[in-house]
Amino acid sequence: MLSPLLLLPLLAIMILNLPIRSLTQKLSVWVGVGLSLWQIVAVILLATGRGCTDTWGKFFTLGLSCDNLTLVLLMSIGIVTLTTILVGWQTIGGDKQRFGFMNLVFVAMIGMNGTVMLTDLFSLYIFIEVTAVASFILIAYQRDTNALEGAFKYIILSATATVMMLLSISIMLLVVGDTSFAAVGSAVKQSQGNPLVMFAVGIFICGLLIKGGVVPFHGWLPAAYSAAPAAASVLLAGIATKTSGIYALIRLTTSVFANNESVNSVLLLAGTISILVGAFAAIGQSDFKKMLAYSSISQVGYIILALGCGTNLAIIGAVFHLFNHSIFKSLLFVNSAAVETQSGTTDMNKLGGLGTKMPVTNATSLIAFLSTAGVPPLAGFWSKLIIVIALWQNGLHTYATIAVLASVLTLAYLLLMQRRVFFGKVADGLANVKEAGWGITVAASILATITVGVGVLFPWMFNSVLMPISSFLK
Amino acid sequence: MTINIILGVSLVLAAAWTVMTARLLRSVIGLALTSMILTIIMFKLNSPLAAVFELSVCAGLISAIFISCISLTQRLTDEQAATKQKERFSKFWLLPVILVLAGVALYQVHIPLDFHLQAAPSESDVRNIIWNLRHLDLIGQIAILLAGAFGVVALFKD
Amino acid sequence: MNDSFILLPIAIPFIAGLVVLLISQRIQSVKEAIALLATAATLGLTITLYGENINFSIPWTGFGIDFALRLYHFSAFILVAASAFSFLFVLYSCSFMRDKPYLNQFYSYLLITLAMANGAVLSDNLVLMLFFWEGLMLTMFGMIAIGRPGAYKTAIKAFIIVGGTDLCLMLGIGIAGHLAGTMTISKISLPVDFLGSLAFVFMMIGAISKAGSVPFHTWIPDAAVDAPLPFMAFLPASLEKLLGIYLLARISLDMFKLTAGSWISILLMTIGAITILLAVMMALVQKDYKRLLAYHAISQVGYMILGIGTCLPIGIIGGLFHMINHALYKSCLFLTGGAVEKQTGTTDLAKLGGIGIKMPVTFVCFLIAAASISGVPPFNGFYSKELVYDAALERGTIFYLAAILGTFLTAASFLKLGHAAFLGKRSEQNDNVRETSLPMLVPMIVIAAVCIVFGVWNYLPLNDLIKPILGEERLAGYEFSPNTMLITITVIVLVGALLHHLFAAKVNGSGYKASDHIRHAPFLEVIYTKAEKRWFDPYDIGLKIVQGTSRLGWWIDRGIDWLYEDFAVQVAKGLSSIIKLAHTGSYSMYVVWSLIGVLFVVIMLMKSF
Repeated sequence: MLSPLLLLPLLAIMILNLPIRSLTQKLSVWVGVGLSLWQIVAVILLATGRGCTDTWGKFFTLGLSCDNLTLVLLMSIGIVTLTTILVGWQTIGGDKQRFGFMNLVFVAMIGMNGTVMLTDLFSLYIFIEVTAVASFILIAYQRDTNALEGAFKYIILSATATVMMLLSISIMLLVVGDTSFAAVGSAVKQSQGNPLVMFAVGIFICGLLIKGGVVPFHGWLPAAYSAAPAAASVLLAGIATKTSGIYALIRLTTSVFANNESVNSVLLLAGTISILVGAFAAIGQSDFKKMLAYSSISQVGYIILALGCGTNLAIIGAVFHLFNHSIFKSLLFVNSAAVETQSGTTDMNKLGGLGTKMPVTNATSLIAFLSTAGVPPLAGFWSKLIIVIALWQNGLHTYATIAVLASVLTLAYLLLMQRRVFFGKVADGLANVKEAGWGITVAASILATITVGVGVLFPWMFNSVLMPISSFLK
Repeated sequence: MTINIILGVSLVLAAAWTVMTARLLRSVIGLALTSMILTIIMFKLNSPLAAVFELSVCAGLISAIFISCISLTQRLTDEQAATKQKERFSKFWLLPVILVLAGVALYQVHIPLDFHLQAAPSESDVRNIIWNLRHLDLIGQIAILLAGAFGVVALFKD
Repeated sequence: MNDSFILLPIAIPFIAGLVVLLISQRIQSVKEAIALLATAATLGLTITLYGENINFSIPWTGFGIDFALRLYHFSAFILVAASAFSFLFVLYSCSFMRDKPYLNQFYSYLLITLAMANGAVLSDNLVLMLFFWEGLMLTMFGMIAIGRPGAYKTAIKAFIIVGGTDLCLMLGIGIAGHLAGTMTISKISLPVDFLGSLAFVFMMIGAISKAGSVPFHTWIPDAAVDAPLPFMAFLPASLEKLLGIYLLARISLDMFKLTAGSWISILLMTIGAITILLAVMMALVQKDYKRLLAYHAISQVGYMILGIGTCLPIGIIGGLFHMINHALYKSCLFLTGGAVEKQTGTTDLAKLGGIGIKMPVTFVCFLIAAASISGVPPFNGFYSKELVYDAALERGTIFYLAAILGTFLTAASFLKLGHAAFLGKRSEQNDNVRETSLPMLVPMIVIAAVCIVFGVWNYLPLNDLIKPILGEERLAGYEFSPNTMLITITVIVLVGALLHHLFAAKVNGSGYKASDHIRHAPFLEVIYTKAEKRWFDPYDIGLKIVQGTSRLGWWIDRGIDWLYEDFAVQVAKGLSSIIKLAHTGSYSMYVVWSLIGVLFVVIMLMKSF
């Protein structure tokens, strides 16, 4: 069941690009919907213990592995890809354009699925790069100045990250002679703070922090997110950077770099700075998507903060917040896509009063922002609560307090957003705005349902779904 | 011995050309050349795994990144290229100096490697390593090349 | 029978309610059909479930809070009653609510209300019950709010009063659960010591306010005017009484070991007596059909509370019997009110009169129900009141006197209502009034018929429905034969009421003004005037106090407000603009930041060397 998650998208790309374009161009969207739905089903099957025998794996030695953390990520990848495809269906005009877009989404899917399933440092680098290359092109897809600038910034900082990761891998190879997680993990443990190894660990983490957009490595992020076409920013903000940066960081710090004390203190600090800088920067933005981008930085800070705490509960909180964040941030970007396509702008000074014109977008955006700000009983509240409790239990009272106070800031800037875009009087020239097309509203409704559902069902999920996540920690 | 010296010198030359040439496309070719020479050196040093890594990094990934990068930047005019050509020595003369200094400094610093070093795998056949050990990377590389191709289609076509 | 069938009385109306909400406003008949079908199905189901004993439990939130439902004699009985009433009201609404706005919301609220009520009755866990109880509050809020423009005020008033008392219920549940160590209702049996009585009083407040007792009643008369009429017949008149008295009976019979001598018993009886008198005094002087009925809906609760408060088996039986009787005749009365409103367009008694001959069926139904509520033999209200009198007399003459005085005033006010609305001189605009449509008549006739059946063959409901609730051992040694002396007194009082009405109508000029001399009696006039100005409404008093304190706090508030509104915002904006300045948009700058970050991280990681 695991290798098809990689091979099926690959197969899909190959079949779609056979020289029967006139047929496949129309088909590509349906293939995408099918693939992402299949991925969601596959994750459910895997989670319930079925489909674990890997028949395809007999022909390839891929060395994939699957634990509960992987399943959570695969699930969010499936969901966010589905919404990306729905939004792309609606927003990208022209069969040809759409076809190219779908192909790139499939490539990104391969990259992300590979990233979460592999067990080797070098393969990790390759698949992060797969995601990154697909992202560059997706960001630049519209070819206007902003898009090219955003993509360029991403490439430059991504290349910096690449250099660091490769340097780190080469040191590891020098020291360990192998790059598999298990070998590197045991070597790091044995080396007990050897400066060369710590240097390698440090720059690898920095590379991942760049990929994840954590302050002060975040310079590329606002430009890239806001310049990307609407559908691409959903994918990018929702899951692509989270998989290649944050997931990899969670995986490495827990199972490879083995909860190192000084790594943890770095993460705590970086997380806190991210939360604060992201939130304060978001308050001052007047561009819808830029604000969301900074909010993304701030939310990623929570995940990093929890990771730095290092206890089992904190890591459960981090994973849960990662999942929630991928849902509600995608939802917010879907809403921004709706606003952008319908009103033609994302400048909040020119927007206003869209709530009555776009009821679905208004309602789902309300849900998403309340969830982001951590208002009970939505999903975001519970993950933040777990993180704060874990921090407090671990004696990190200052960090816990900052986390709580920053969620007030989150509420403030998102409320500001909601008010400026959806509430109040209808702004000039927007009197004829209508609700966005069905692809966007369906995507928004799916995500909103998940956010509310996970939040409301949390008491049931806590013991049956959430606690088992920690099984990967051993 | 002679072959080692030839390899080492050509590696330096290829690397220098990669950095100093004014055209991005030439630079790509230079990089590929450099990495091939480096791969050969690594095989000779009996480190096939590192050699394969080097090969895959340069052949697949870096080229794809270059393609996307080139597609995003503007082509130099001939005049600009000519001025760059002239400037290159004055711009890069510091580089070998820094390199030598860094080498000396690294040699002086004691890096404690006083823990058990595992032996590198002994298989020396590159085909064996690519086909039996690193299937996953191959899939990744295929995906990157595909992404690069789509990038060219999407970004270059007018 | 499968145990999980017990979920259906909750699930069917709830799902139907959601479906109705989703269906377009235009296909009204589909909505009605679904609502009818769902209530009919629930009714059929509850009847088949009647007589079963089912304990159903699945784990819910943990911490000893299970999704536990228990079907036994008492809850099954309430279920059947609630479903039957809902069915009749939906049938009635098919005609009454036609072409009114917010129809889709009305049916779905009604259905969800039924689901919540069934859930509250069935639940065997205090927290679960509270969950359903609160759900009920929400639908009630919605139902009042859709009534007419401006109904929001009343809805909010109801919401605050009911919400406040629900808070008390929550407190009581918390204390009771803490004392008993379990949240499962059937396992709780608490003595009435200090904390126990505290818990009891809190839960009792929740229960009797749901039933609409004084002093938590003030939203009901307002709602009577604002809310759609079937709502009045449905919630305050029948369903909430059933629920409130059900809960009161549960806590005083099962959960707490209440004895006849305890101060709680006296407290309950006092509340009952005061409720009877106060509300009926207000009812007597009303000039509006619906408001008058609403005050009676409050007044009759007093009998039930009085009956249960006596803590004597005969009184409890009487209270519970009165509960079901009241639900019958009061809903019938409201339905006649709705019929009159539908046909004449008004419920103002001054504009009504003489329509009895035009609407004979409605008039007959009204007569039966009015006779029942006034306690005229042999209608059902008479028998249940008789049992309550009996128990009250045993506990104290003063309570008996209050009850009998209440009966006198009830009879007087209904004589006045009947006289003013259906008899007397007909005004011209009512000349063309016709009898109302069949879907509205059927529920009235059915309920009126049940009133007679429960009256004449009163041993039927008593033996089959009410007595098993208490069980054989508690009833041992009690006789339920009517007490001849009490009957005689009652009849005398009723005849007195009739004479009084005839006399007063003659003196005051018309049936409409028959109660004016009471309204303008010395001393009473002052109180009435103040009551009409809402001097005694705890909600309005509360509002005034809140307004006073809020004005006081305004200045302090401004200061704090400045701190948040201006100071905090300025600080945030300042920080934000500093951060914004740092984001120049130059990628080389960003690379430099990243490298500084790398340097920092590497130093931190390698600092031990």
